[in-house]
Amino acid sequence: MLYIACDDKSIELFDFISNYLKLENIEYFLVARGGDTLDISQKVVDLILESPQVNRGIIIDENTIGPFLLGAKHSKIICAPTHEEHTSLMTRDHNNANLIVLGSKIVGQGVAMNIVDRFVKHHYAGGRHQIRIDMLNSMGRTI
Amino acid sequence: MKIAIGCDHIVTDIKDKIRDWLKSEGNEVFDCGTYDNVRTHYPIFGQKVGEKVANQDVDFGIVLCGTGVGITNAAQKVAGTRVALVSDVYSAKKAREDYNCNVIGFGGRIIGIGLIQDMISTFLKTEFNSTPENLERVSRINGLLEESSHKDFQVELQKWENNEYND
Repeated sequence: MLYIACDDKSIELFDFISNYLKLENIEYFLVARGGDTLDISQKVVDLILESPQVNRGIIIDENTIGPFLLGAKHSKIICAPTHEEHTSLMTRDHNNANLIVLGSKIVGQGVAMNIVDRFVKHHYAGGRHQIRIDMLNSMGRTI
Repeated sequence: MKIAIGCDHIVTDIKDKIRDWLKSEGNEVFDCGTYDNVRTHYPIFGQKVGEKVANQDVDFGIVLCGTGVGITNAAQKVAGTRVALVSDVYSAKKAREDYNCNVIGFGGRIIGIGLIQDMISTFLKTEFNSTPENLERVSRINGLLEESSHKDFQVELQKWENNEYND
């Protein structure tokens, strides 16, 4: 499942993105539309961790810093703050990222749409990249 | 100022430029590697920089890989680090002001050296704004991982040697 959430200050971009996902017929679960950035981030992270190989998340707050700090502290969460399209593509391809964060004060709608599109449609390459993912998964907070 | 810096083999030339520039500005820089372009693995260097910062051997850490995602995730999975992956000066400032971040990361294949230097300068000179709200945020992040043990990654590196990670 794709879990999506935003903080109080990012509703406009969030509505645009959730509408885009609807138009593309991409299934998602709305976790929070507003709230404290660390609260909504923890909710999304906990849901992804129920099946981190399969689940993914998109969090939108003002500048991506809080959700990254929270998400990436956890083992089996690979979190990508995405400010442009190329990172979105490469982080799926190489890092197998299961959570991206968008900054509503950083990106506009067009770039945000492209970032989300690449994140939901691209596949992980595996192979030599998997050693780094295995290393990352051995680190961080385990519950 | 004491600064630790680390990268993967994709962006060693950029790390070297930043290291030399920071030294020329009067900082004491610990180069955690990698030191050449031989294929290696970013978690090794993200962990090294993260541990230097967490042990307070240095004031701040800087990490780079292709997008910055891999190495910042590694550094953030060390207890005591607060890492920001940024690509604009506004975010570099907010990372210090709101979250007291102690490591900054970049995608060396995403942005250029001019912006990187601008963001580092801003990050190093911005003070934490220690409001009750910000102190609570920092304590909440720190509380997620209060201790972490050093990983030697022997299991993964042995599998690599045995060619178990094939493209």
